[in-house]
Amino acid sequence: MSNTFHDPSTSDQPYKDPTPLPESIPRVQELGTTSAYLKSAAFFLGAHCKEFNEDFMLCKAEDRDPAHCLKEGRRVTRCATDLITKMRENCLKDFDLHAACLEKNNHEYYACRKPERSLNKCMFEKLGLTKTIPGSPEGKTPIHLVEKPVFTTIQK
Amino acid sequence: MPVPWEALIPFGLLTTMFAAAGTLLNTSKMAQNQGKPPRYKIDAWDEMMMERDRRLTGHTRGQRSDPTPPEGFETNSVWYTEKTQ
Repeated sequence: MSNTFHDPSTSDQPYKDPTPLPESIPRVQELGTTSAYLKSAAFFLGAHCKEFNEDFMLCKAEDRDPAHCLKEGRRVTRCATDLITKMRENCLKDFDLHAACLEKNNHEYYACRKPERSLNKCMFEKLGLTKTIPGSPEGKTPIHLVEKPVFTTIQK
Repeated sequence: MPVPWEALIPFGLLTTMFAAAGTLLNTSKMAQNQGKPPRYKIDAWDEMMMERDRRLTGHTRGQRSDPTPPEGFETNSVWYTEKTQ
């Protein structure tokens, strides 16, 4: 059975290829953090890893081929892993609370301003990172700093 | 004059049945989503992230903050092939 070639394009199931990357490509530990924690850390990843992220996006803009941007991708992964490790060391409780709140609210930021405020405070004190929303209108307070926002969740 | 309380029984029944059905549905949804409300308005990005979460934790709603992934994470993603000629 293992000798026959099963052409993936004719199978009725999506297939997994278990072979690892060739030895010539440097290995990087992939990031094992799930979506809610990544969404919670998103703006801090933007602040901390700005250059690597921009490099990667510019590289992708040249050519969408996965093989073209492996080096920039490795740098992004390493920077993100570094930041997540630092966040877990310094602000684990606030990080956990904010991610749990996001999980309960369909990953919407507007529903979780209170845990977000304490996480932002902890991140600024311990790691010096602030959340800035790129492209927010000039002269008006960014939505995450507004005291009494118009759009909130219904009171539970 | 005596109050016709028997006439109110159907209203009570309707309310109870609605409440029971609603509670049962809510409990079923929460149980399917590990005690959390279900995700809605899921686009292709969210589907991709939830599939990644399933590869990391075993369930589409599972969450972990550990940056080290479990064994085999790097190669167990699924490739959707197109038809080739």
